[in-house]
Amino acid sequence: MKVCLSSTGTTLDSNVDPRFGRCAYFIIYDTSTDTFEYYANESRDAMGGAGIQAAQKVIEKGAEAVISGNIGPNSFKVLQSAPGGPVKIYSGVSGTIRSAIAQLKNNELKPVTSSSVQSHYGMGSGMGRS
Amino acid sequence: MIISVASGKGGTGKTTVAVALARSINYCQFIDYDVEAPNASLFLKPDIKYIKKVTIRQPYFLTNTDKSFKRCADFCHYNAVASIGDEVVFFSELCHGCGGCILVGPEGAVREKDVEIGEISKGFCPPGINFLMGNLKPGNMRTPTVQNELEKNIEYDNHVIIDCPPGTSCSMVMSVKNSDFCILVTEPTPFGLNDLMISVDVLKNLKIPFGVIVNRFGIGNDEVLNYCKNNNIKIIAKIPNDLNIAKYYSKGLSLIDFDPIWKNKFNDIISEIEKEVLKK
Repeated sequence: MKVCLSSTGTTLDSNVDPRFGRCAYFIIYDTSTDTFEYYANESRDAMGGAGIQAAQKVIEKGAEAVISGNIGPNSFKVLQSAPGGPVKIYSGVSGTIRSAIAQLKNNELKPVTSSSVQSHYGMGSGMGRS
Repeated sequence: MIISVASGKGGTGKTTVAVALARSINYCQFIDYDVEAPNASLFLKPDIKYIKKVTIRQPYFLTNTDKSFKRCADFCHYNAVASIGDEVVFFSELCHGCGGCILVGPEGAVREKDVEIGEISKGFCPPGINFLMGNLKPGNMRTPTVQNELEKNIEYDNHVIIDCPPGTSCSMVMSVKNSDFCILVTEPTPFGLNDLMISVDVLKNLKIPFGVIVNRFGIGNDEVLNYCKNNNIKIIAKIPNDLNIAKYYSKGLSLIDFDPIWKNKFNDIISEIEKEVLKK
């Protein structure tokens, strides 16, 4: 199974990024071969809808599950619409990518059925009224 | 003559001042431009006689035709369109209604419909205040679109008092851009000063003459006064920090109900502004 993790870096020792749409990198980990690839998240600086754009790319990459610190409602909606059926979402995960994969393999992670944060969560503080 | 009442910081007393101005001259048009959170009607209590819906054009997608909408998703700067396989997930609240997806998408498969984003209301407050306000639907981003609708209804041959939204972004610029004079309401605190300075920059850029009213005078420090003095900015009035003014406000009453002396003061303020505007 291909799993997509939001990551702060490019290795298995990087941390799971608490943000999905505005994370630094995505790591696509294949649990059947124990190999992975990574790509920089081009959506992180999007003016709006970063999660929407990121989720589309994750689906295009063929990921069947997503692991992240938090998932917003818009990303959630897109991930639910994957042509091969809804992408499994594990949020509330922290620590290294390596430990997150280990937890997944040991069935210690439970998929969530709703988003964990409001829109604009990953945009940082001070957005206020604009 | 159009007088707008703005501030950088929120909650400094824009509505207090704008309502008091309107109630002092009694014959004018009053426009609440803060379409995201209009509240002047609580004080002026207009008899609303006319409501007009504000709509924008938004796309809808004819899917199940094996056509890809990926170009629409790639084109959309606001990521309002997600294309997955031959399906589309559309986020109405992110759509700015530019129509780009219709141009780049599969021919005939992206259509447009009217979507309501808010409304404008007109009313009357005796003896002679023509009241106008806009109301943006919660969660919607199209503030200036509703404000554009207000702009079409400005009575240019009347005295016009505009109650602006806080801040100095698009919605504030939309509110002050037609004014002959802008009153900046601030409070004598570091926050008040910081946001006052940003507002002053905006108005200088827009070449709109302005003056400052210091509200809750007596709290904070002297820095707002020093800033105005050092930059030759006129302080039009100081409203004291008085719990009774807040009590009147909380009951939906105006500053001139609190103390009728403000009626004379605001009439003088308007005469002076008028003189300054005519001098130009």
